[in-house]
Amino acid sequence: MLEIRNLHATVEGREILNGIDLIIRPGETHAIMGPNGSGKSTLANVIAGREGYVVTEGDIFFDGKNLLEMDPETRACEGLFLAFQYPVEIPGVANLYFLKAAVNAVRKYRGEPSVDAMDFWDLIHERMELVKMDESMLKRSVNEGFSGGEKKRNEVFQMAVLQPRFAVMDETDSGLDIDALRVVADGVNALRSPERGFLVITHYQRLLDYIVPDYVHVLVNGRIARSGGKELAVELEQQGYALYNEEPGRARRAA
Amino acid sequence: MTAIAPLFSDPYYQAFAAFMTERREPDAIARLRRAAFARFETLGWPTRRQEAWRFTDLAALQALALQRPSNALIDAITLPALETTTHRRVFVNGYFAPSLSPMQPLPDRAIVSNFSQALLSHSDRISSVLDSLPGLQSHPFAALNTAFWEDGAFVYVPQGTVIKEPIHLVFYTTGGDMAVYPRLLLALEDGAQATVVVEYQGQGRSLNAPLAELQLGSSAVLHYHQVQEESLQAFHLGGIRVHQSRASQAHLHLFSSGGQLGRTDLEVLLDGEHAGCLLNGLTLGQENQTGDCHLRVEHTQPHGTSEQVFKSVLDGAARAVFDGMIHVRPHAQKTDARQTSRNLLLSRQAKAHSNPRLEILADDVKCGHGSSTGFLDPDAEFYLRARGIPVIQARALLVHAFANDSLNRIILAPLRERLARLLAVWLGLDSIEGN
Ligand SMILES: Nc1ncnc2c1ncn2[C@@H]1O[C@H](COP(=O)(O)OP(=O)(O)OP(=O)(O)O)[C@@H](O)[C@H]1O
Ligand SMILES: [Mg+2]
Repeated sequence: MLEIRNLHATVEGREILNGIDLIIRPGETHAIMGPNGSGKSTLANVIAGREGYVVTEGDIFFDGKNLLEMDPETRACEGLFLAFQYPVEIPGVANLYFLKAAVNAVRKYRGEPSVDAMDFWDLIHERMELVKMDESMLKRSVNEGFSGGEKKRNEVFQMAVLQPRFAVMDETDSGLDIDALRVVADGVNALRSPERGFLVITHYQRLLDYIVPDYVHVLVNGRIARSGGKELAVELEQQGYALYNEEPGRARRAA
Repeated sequence: MTAIAPLFSDPYYQAFAAFMTERREPDAIARLRRAAFARFETLGWPTRRQEAWRFTDLAALQALALQRPSNALIDAITLPALETTTHRRVFVNGYFAPSLSPMQPLPDRAIVSNFSQALLSHSDRISSVLDSLPGLQSHPFAALNTAFWEDGAFVYVPQGTVIKEPIHLVFYTTGGDMAVYPRLLLALEDGAQATVVVEYQGQGRSLNAPLAELQLGSSAVLHYHQVQEESLQAFHLGGIRVHQSRASQAHLHLFSSGGQLGRTDLEVLLDGEHAGCLLNGLTLGQENQTGDCHLRVEHTQPHGTSEQVFKSVLDGAARAVFDGMIHVRPHAQKTDARQTSRNLLLSRQAKAHSNPRLEILADDVKCGHGSSTGFLDPDAEFYLRARGIPVIQARALLVHAFANDSLNRIILAPLRERLARLLAVWLGLDSIEGN
């Protein structure tokens, strides 16, 4: 469902992604691990269509459609979701209002009428329980004054409400205590289905105990240095990235 | 004597002479007019070399051949309404329009009237206060207003009396290059309370130079709202003088989205211990509009509080000017005075000038000011878009979030809701709900 071919991207004129190839089929969950600054978030932002991330070569197809030709909102309406590594605080915009605007935007794109108030309320409550979010967060401004963990939980909550077909989770586990981690994982697992795909960016094998991936990729210097099954995560946890870093920009295969 | 010679060629001089021959009014009023006109002649038309007018370009206004206003019939439907019972007085081109001003029962001895009427029965009450409040002494348009007003609104609330329903004063101009000088005099005696909504609306091109004088007795409470929604060709140069006695509270809300040039000069004198005021402003500008606020808050007595919160949202090549002075006299210890001015620019051509000024002559005070000007947060915009919200709606949401806390300070719900709708329309949204 997501097909990335020979993707090169620059940020402020600096090449960050140096030819990424990645195919994710419906129902699959892929994990990406890699050292700080290796380009994981850059990949996530390129997929989501953030300004300032310039694709210099390569393509991304989403269900056969050229993703790079779509603006960010169209990508979202097509069913793409990015859980931000650093969710943005938006003072003055209430969470609930924001969610409703998002749900209705997607419905409008699909030619459906605005969501019925009662249906929306039911959906919200059901999803709130899933991620164990407090109702008071609905009235508060988007992410404003939220703790790190609450922000991450809010990302999963939004995902659970919007029910995208493909989600990129950028370090959604970072900064979470073990209970919150389980909640986030439950939120993701509840959405997993044969039609949905996930790309989970993480530094910790721990998360992958809860969200068991079909594939693990190691991203180093803007390239996928190695791919494998979930056991690769365990190996990385033990050995670190030293093996991949000897030649910057030209990662070597670990034995 | 040679210095006086040029005055005779001044069109204002001719106009004033003609105007005065027609007036039938108490001598005390006529004396005020002459004194004010003399003051105008001394002050002259403002130039951009004067600090207070540095950012206010009057050239386009000066080029007009302004006409004396004439009364006009207008349809009640074109007038703004509040969805509640109000004491409504409508003025068209400065003239009272009785047919558009239905009477409602008022508390005993309270007056909500027009000047020409009130002068017949309460001449002393008016002439003893009119033009006697301090402030705006060097404002030429305030002087012109006193010289040339045709009619105006007079509100008097006796001691301890509360008028619950909003007093809704609508000043409508019909264009035609008329120079209109609406007047408002409001006196709250000790412990009196009132809520006032003043609306400036109209069509076409004209000069509207209103002057409002608000006097608050001890422990009086005033909620005053000014909505300036004139046409985009109009010139609006208004003045407000406020005098507050001990422990009085003034909440002044200034909303403006109209006028090619819209300026309000506001001076508040906190002239009793524990007096407090809130000055809350929101200016929306687009195309070539200039929205301009000049404030002066003067603390003369101890334990006063003042808060100025002024915001602008500027699109196109619009400009906002904010000049806010907090002056704390030596005797005014324990003053708590705050000022913020925040401008949100929606285009690269828009410009905001902020000039916060503090003059603090007392040593035991809390005073602070802050000012900021910036564009929309691109990260927030992307966050909303990444959830499927179209870029136009995303930007509108962010602007609304910025402006909305100005509206949320308005307690009067029907007005707050109307302004929220106006903001949504201004932003090109169908509606904003749920926030
Ligand atoms: N907006 C930006 N402006 C400037 N440089 C950027 C920007 N975004 C990313 N970079 C640079 O690109 C490189 C890759 O950053 P990226 O955020 O993709 O790394 P990452 O793999 O997600 O790291 P981490 O594990 O720390 O989240 C870094 O050197 C970073 O400084
Ligand atoms: Mg990252």
